[in-house]
Amino acid sequence: MSSGRAQELAAWQRDLARVGYIAEPSLVAALLLMQDLGRPLLLEGDAGVGKTEVAKVLATLRHTRLIRLQCYEGLDAHAAMYEWNYQRQLLAIKLLEHDERGIAQKEQDIFSERYLLKRPLLEAISCDRPPVLLIDEVDRADEAFEAYLLELLSDFQLSIPELGTVHATSRPLVVITSNGTRELSDALRRRCLYQYIDYPDYEKELAIVRCKAPTVAAELAQQIVAFVQGVRRMELQKKPGIAETLDWTAALLRLGISVIDIDGAERIMQSLSALIKTRDDRAAFPREAVARLAAAC
Amino acid sequence: MLALNTPTLDARAAARLTGFPGFLRANGFAGGGGDAVPVLQTAQRVGLLDSHVLRWSLQALLCGRADEWRRFDELFDAWFLPANRWQRPERREADDGALSGDQPSGAAGDAEAAADDDEVRPRQAASRQEVLSSTDFRALTEREHALDIEALMRRFARQLKHVRLRREVRARHGRRLDLPGTIRRSVASGGTPLHLAWKDRRQVRPRLVLLIDVSRSMAQYSFFYLRLARALSAELSDVYSFLFHTRVTAVSQALHDPDPWRAQERLHLIAQGWAGGTRIGESIAQFNREHAARIVHSRTAILVMSDGYDTGEPAQLSESLRQLRRRARRIVWLNPLCNRPGYTPISQGMQAAIPHLDLLAPGADLASIRAVLPSLIEALR
Repeated sequence: MSSGRAQELAAWQRDLARVGYIAEPSLVAALLLMQDLGRPLLLEGDAGVGKTEVAKVLATLRHTRLIRLQCYEGLDAHAAMYEWNYQRQLLAIKLLEHDERGIAQKEQDIFSERYLLKRPLLEAISCDRPPVLLIDEVDRADEAFEAYLLELLSDFQLSIPELGTVHATSRPLVVITSNGTRELSDALRRRCLYQYIDYPDYEKELAIVRCKAPTVAAELAQQIVAFVQGVRRMELQKKPGIAETLDWTAALLRLGISVIDIDGAERIMQSLSALIKTRDDRAAFPREAVARLAAAC
Repeated sequence: MLALNTPTLDARAAARLTGFPGFLRANGFAGGGGDAVPVLQTAQRVGLLDSHVLRWSLQALLCGRADEWRRFDELFDAWFLPANRWQRPERREADDGALSGDQPSGAAGDAEAAADDDEVRPRQAASRQEVLSSTDFRALTEREHALDIEALMRRFARQLKHVRLRREVRARHGRRLDLPGTIRRSVASGGTPLHLAWKDRRQVRPRLVLLIDVSRSMAQYSFFYLRLARALSAELSDVYSFLFHTRVTAVSQALHDPDPWRAQERLHLIAQGWAGGTRIGESIAQFNREHAARIVHSRTAILVMSDGYDTGEPAQLSESLRQLRRRARRIVWLNPLCNRPGYTPISQGMQAAIPHLDLLAPGADLASIRAVLPSLIEALR
């Protein structure tokens, strides 16, 4: 039985790699468990380590829709769950003015599902096929929103006062990501499976670069990854994520750089804007620092 | 819990598995993915033969935050692997039953219980001596004047609610028309907007980050500030507390602990190095590096509580505060020495810090905090 699980895990890992996601086995184990237990998966980690990507490839692998809710400060229930289409409702009222039907019936008509605008959360529970619901950067939303979310995640139903309770026709696979800008409530954490995603180590990042940018020569790819790993070891305000590595790779190719060495430090400097994103961090990369890092590659 | 139908797991394995969540809780886990039932379900799904897959699956299930995630491997080994690495492994056998129920630290303060506790904490067993020699936190829960502090912090929290930052919300009377809201209301009157809906600025409190100096020179004040932090954390949800002497340690979770005894216990463990020297600049630089990106945003007010006696480089203090100032909304410094008559902030540390502060205020005791509250609120506005 267990070897079956291990095989399943390896197969998933291969499939993930096929669609372009290099995953740690522990993440694959969590993805499998999440589908077994029907629990949401909470992903934490620094920006740019590939949290959002997990939901995307999960949707691809399961041949299902990805419904994304991007959280932000001040996100309210209306923007996340549902809203009435007021304009259409108003129009309908005008049209119904000379209608013979009773008030109650008219009202029922105006507050029917036809005039309901589905926002991501409502949409996710009313799909025919279970979709993947990505709740991105949940730490940016207010605590009040977390409470709404908990209700949805525990019962998979939403109550709309004018319409009644909407039960889930299918249980979505929920992936929640957090950058940790705010401490999430214990209640939310308890309901979720948890996975912490760290910056990739050398081997993993190399595999990612090879997978995402197959045109890069093997030697250059190794040097790029070694350079980025060196940058991450420095004390920076914003460490480069995987997206930055790939951007930088593209920038190097564009600049026609085929090898990273001390002599090319000047040209590497030109491409650093793809890797270093704050002024203070940029100040930490004078020519000598770049040359030193390049020499170590 | 064991009544769960577990045909594929033998009784011994099941008992071991059900004890694991309790073992994690005894090691300070917040209780992640639940207790015995999901653990058994998971084990049944995953099987027991491949310990890696079981480890990864349980890690996903039982961890809830990053530090738990990092400590998990070690605890998993301690609980499941044949015991040869940990001291007195036979204790674990004996504890097996007890741990799956209540946690052993329940009999708080009892020396016996404390000793037991150490037994199940592989990492912390060695630090017992140090903990004993560190400062006694019992004062933290003393009734005397704890109530006063709570009352004052409640007042502070209430006044803080009046600090308005930009955020709009629907309101009965406001400054701007809420169009969707107005149309929504007009449905009742056949599409004629008889009743208007308005938006107004919502009141959003600033987030507070407390940086409390606990070096030796601050010894007589740091308890007071810790109590302050505890009372404030109980009152407001958006408070983050850190202690620093030569390095910074987050204590929000320990302070938030509803069980005062366990809070003490956790602070005990944090206390290593307590009442030593001070390197304020280095500590704040470390804070910038490790925590600021996550916690400090444009609504954040930083409260530094320190006497400003710094054994580090003043230039570093100045630089690190400058960096922090750029991220945060306000920086306020409470200095207990300001209460002394004739005190002028001439220490190098204070001199380096002052250009970056929005307010430098005295704060040696409750009375002075009370006196300084209005200007504090004003500074946070």
